[in-house]
This record gives sequence, structure tokens and C-alpha cells, in this order.
Amino acid sequence: MAELRLEHIYKTYKGEVEAVKDLNLTVQDGEFLALLGPSGCGKTSTLRMIVGLEDITSGEMYIGNRLVNRLEPNQRNVALAFETYALYPPLSVFENIAFCLRARSIPKTEIGQRVRRVADMLDITDILDRKPAELGGGQKQRVSLARALVRDPDVFLMDEPLSHLDAAQRSHMRVELKRLHAQTGRTTILVTHDQLEAVAMAQRIAVMNFGVLQQVGSFDEIYNHPVNEFVAGFIGEPPMNFLPVTPVREAEKLHLAAVDGSFRILLTDALKTRVERSGAQKIDLGIRPIHMEVVEDEGDNTVDATVVTFESLGEEGQLAATVGTSTVLVVTSPWLRLDRGDAVRLRLRSERLHLFDAATQAAI
Amino acid sequence: MQSKVTSNRLAAILSDGFLALYFIFALFPILWMLLVSLKSGEQLFTTQFIFTPTLENYQAILFGDPRAAAGVVARQEFPKYFMNSLIVSSGAVIVSLLVGVPAAYALARYKFKGKEDLAFTFLSFRFAPELVVIIPLSVIYRQLGLYDTYWGIIWVYQLVTLPLLIWVLRSYFEDISPDIEQAAMIDGYPWWRIFWLILLPLVRPGLAAAALLAFVFAWNNFIFPLVLGGSNVQTVTVSALGYISSAQAFFNRMAAASVLASIPQIILALSIQRYLIRGLSFGAVKG
Repeated sequence: MAELRLEHIYKTYKGEVEAVKDLNLTVQDGEFLALLGPSGCGKTSTLRMIVGLEDITSGEMYIGNRLVNRLEPNQRNVALAFETYALYPPLSVFENIAFCLRARSIPKTEIGQRVRRVADMLDITDILDRKPAELGGGQKQRVSLARALVRDPDVFLMDEPLSHLDAAQRSHMRVELKRLHAQTGRTTILVTHDQLEAVAMAQRIAVMNFGVLQQVGSFDEIYNHPVNEFVAGFIGEPPMNFLPVTPVREAEKLHLAAVDGSFRILLTDALKTRVERSGAQKIDLGIRPIHMEVVEDEGDNTVDATVVTFESLGEEGQLAATVGTSTVLVVTSPWLRLDRGDAVRLRLRSERLHLFDAATQAAI
Repeated sequence: MQSKVTSNRLAAILSDGFLALYFIFALFPILWMLLVSLKSGEQLFTTQFIFTPTLENYQAILFGDPRAAAGVVARQEFPKYFMNSLIVSSGAVIVSLLVGVPAAYALARYKFKGKEDLAFTFLSFRFAPELVVIIPLSVIYRQLGLYDTYWGIIWVYQLVTLPLLIWVLRSYFEDISPDIEQAAMIDGYPWWRIFWLILLPLVRPGLAAAALLAFVFAWNNFIFPLVLGGSNVQTVTVSALGYISSAQAFFNRMAAASVLASIPQIILALSIQRYLIRGLSFGAVKG
């Protein structure tokens, strides 16, 4: 077990493509961290650098205060569960798990004990004699996890571990992985593009985009206090709505007026100070679909909208409506009766507004 | 429903019948060869299927012709030619394996400049008719002292055996996920042990099938040993010519030699049959 520390890590391919830029990240001893981002955001490059399959272009990487930049993968004492499982087809499940122990010339009796211990933990003792080709997806997954854990790694990395499982296995495995982490107490890094996985399993989430670490924090921090528009839009399903607005001062009050002139919203004092301090002239107003509601009466924080589509999804309804020239998505009760072209009034929960400087995309 | 079942059965009978016909058609030359090899000189040009078989042709090619008269070529050196064929064909396949397996791996795994051109160049060895290159080759061989040597023939056979091996194995290696190698690297194995323990067992069907075909092609090759080999490395294919002389054509002896010469291929094919179909249908299609 150990702390993993990345300091000013860069990864540049062929002197041109910058896959990872100035990454600073500390994963505490025993922590479960998710590295989350869309494909091509640099999370896989980061993972491969930690494991040692990829050279670090510049920066320093420490595992338990040991500089590992120049160490070979097997000298770093890290384990990786591959997305494709990457089991060794010619070898039995037992030999697959024992493979890394054999490389270290560990005595035979101890190999047997250790393999059986992890096999027990992952509930695969009954398939130890089989070949990988005879296993189902869930079993392969367990074998690949067992193979990674058997060596007692300092850092345990998982690359999209659930992406090849069906929905039922996936939710089952989420629970399992969390239990496994609690049981082994290993420093664990989960790489995923699926926010649900990250939220369900990890203690902290690191969001990356375009090779840059955007924000690290608990789900609460990332969801309620996103540092920029990317994080705000990436976390949450359905994604956050953004409306372009400009601040308008009127008799000591600060309003946000839609750029297309379709609505005007009065800001609370707290938000007012923040907007004034930032001095931003163009603002993107962010509001999550669940923080808007369809209302009858006119009142504060309401905007007029026109229905584009309304879908009843059983437990909830999803309304797409145009506000001026923008389109917003609203999560509603499923019992509404709305048709295309109907005029509706939407209320925005003022304490749930997110404001971003349109020029820098950073949160205000 | 009923009619559909009957028509399916009819189709099955027809296709079985067709396959049986083709089977006879394809194997008839082998049967004929066997029959001719058992005939004496007098029966040679008859089309009789029932005759008194004789082993004198085999005796003649293996142990010499007791009735050899002046002017008639005595062909008792068959065992020597057989050994020559065995040496150059196996030698060619072994050299191709040693060179071709790493080459196929490199072509499958690494990105480098001119990779596809290189791969195509290997394949193009099979395009050019051997006759096109044989004259310059023979000039070069005489100058280099490779003429009529085992090494010379083994070397020139690479034109025949290497492209096949590289192309079949390349698609096999491409099918293996690089993740597997990386997993083994993290597990702490040097590259050559990963290759030996994990990769080689995975490509074995392709290796067996390609090596067998390469052996067959090398064994059957005629023009290279005819021109580049002299009396020292004469192979069975070339020696078959010797049964025809200006005075007499010993087609029965030629047939006996052919029967013996096809034995190694038949044994090899049967022994790795289970790899053969899978090996060639699996990897090769995707390449």
C-alpha cells in the first residue's frame, strides 16, 4: 500500500500531440479514486504512465515516496486490470493468476496458498482448472482482478473494468469492486468514461479533458461546485443546460438578461457579489434539468418556453423546450400532458444556478 | 413443409454425389500413379486395372536395375535424391521459421516506415515466375560458389517458403491483443519468455499449417534445383527426369519414384490435419 503522487506530468507523443499536460495529482494511501473523462482526454495515457507501459515525457511520479519514472513495470509493484481482461489463453485460470508469482520465483506452496486466497476472495475457486476461452465475461473479469490482486500491489489500477459486462453483471460488479477495495484497502484507481461507475465506486473523482486535469473532489464537490463549464456539463445525466446571458444593473439590483432577449432573471445577493467581482460581461447560465420545473403562475426566476418534445419515461418525464434561441431539457413529472408548440413557463431554482464566464468558461 | 424437407434431402444427396464425384476426380491421378508403379514394362501402356502387380520398379529405383544394359540409364540412386529433397525442404522450412516468425511479429506489432511496402515485397516473391529470375540467379550462384550446394538451394527456396509463412503468421499475431503482452510485462517477464510461453502457443495452428504448406511447395519445386543444383543436390523432382532417356521412357519407375516421393507429404498432412483447416481458414482470411 502506498500513496501515489504525480508532479507536473506531461506526455507528448512524437513531439506534437500533447496527451497529458501538467498533471498534478495525489492519490492517498488506501484511497479509491476515479479518473473520469471522455475518450481522448488523456486518462488512458495517464494510466499507462503509472503502470510503466508508457514513458513519462516530463515530470515526476512517486509511489510511496519512491521515484518510479525510470522503473520497469514489474519493478513498480503496480497491478492493472485490463479493459479486455488480457488473460493468457494457453494457460489455465490457476496458471493465469500464478503467472506473476512464478516470475518472482516464489516457492510453490506459497503460490498455491496465495492463488487460493484471491480465488476465494473473488469466488472463482471452482473454475481454477478451466481455460479462459471457456469462461463467461463476468468470470473473465474476476480472473483478471484476481491476477492483479495476487501480487499485493501498492497501487491497483482498473481500466474500464465494467465496459464489457451486461447491465445486470455491471451493477453486481460495482458492488463487488467496492467490497474488494474495502477488504484489501489498496490504493485503487479506476479509469472510466462512465460517470455512474465513478460516482458509485470512488471516494474522489478526477475529471480530465484534453489532457488537462479539470477538477478533483468528491462527487458532491464536483456536482454542486463544478469549476468550469466542461465539468458542469460532463457530470450529471441528463447534462446541464446552458443559456447565454449578460448582467444588467437596474436600481441596485442585478439581473441576468438573455442575450436573445427572451427572459430576465433577478440574482440573489450572493450571486450578485460574485458576478460583480468577476467583472464578466458575457455569462453562461447553467441549470440542471432536475432544477427546473414547469409552473403555472408567473413569478421570480421564471422563463417562457415552447415545447419541442415531451417524453414520459415512466418514473419521470423529459421535456425539451426552446427558450428564445436556446433549447433546454427539463426533468418533470411523467403525468404532464404537453404537445409540440405548447407554451409553458419554467421556474429555475435560484439556489441551483451555476454561472460561468463565457470568455474563460470558468465558474464565477 | 413436407416438400421442403424432401427438397432439402434431395439437395443433400446431390451435393454428396457431387462431392463423391469430385473426390474420385481429384484422387484418380494418385490411384493411376500407384497402378502404373506396379506395372511391368509390357503392361505399361495398357489401361487395364486388373493385372499382376510387380515390385520390380521399386526394386530398380531403390537397389538398382539387375538387368541394366548398356545405354539404359540405371537409376538406383533414388534414396540419395530422396535425402537431398528432405534436407533442402526441411532446411528451407527451418530457415523460414527462424526468419519468418520474428518478421511476421514485427510486421504485425510495430509501426515503422515502409511497413506495408516491405510486407508486399515479401508477397511479391510469389508473383514473379521462377523462370524470370532463374538465369540471373544461376549466374550469381556460380560466382558466389553456391551452385550445387545445399545452402544455395535452401536459400533460393526462401522465395517459395518465406512469403507464405510471413503472411499467414502476421495475421495470427495481429489477432492477439497487445494487452496480453503488456499484462505479462507487468507480471515481470522478459519479452522472449512472453513470446515463448504465451504467443507461440497461440499461433501454433497457423505455424503448423503454414510450415506444412511451405514444406510441400519446397518439396515439389522443380525449376530451382534443376538449374541451381548439379549432381550433388539433385532432388527427387529433378531426378524424375532421369527415367526418360533417349532410348526408353521408364514411366513405371517414374511412377514408383513419385509414389515414394509423396509419402512424406502425405504423412505430414495427416499428422497435422487438425491444424490445417483451422490454421488456414482462421488467420489467412483476415490478413
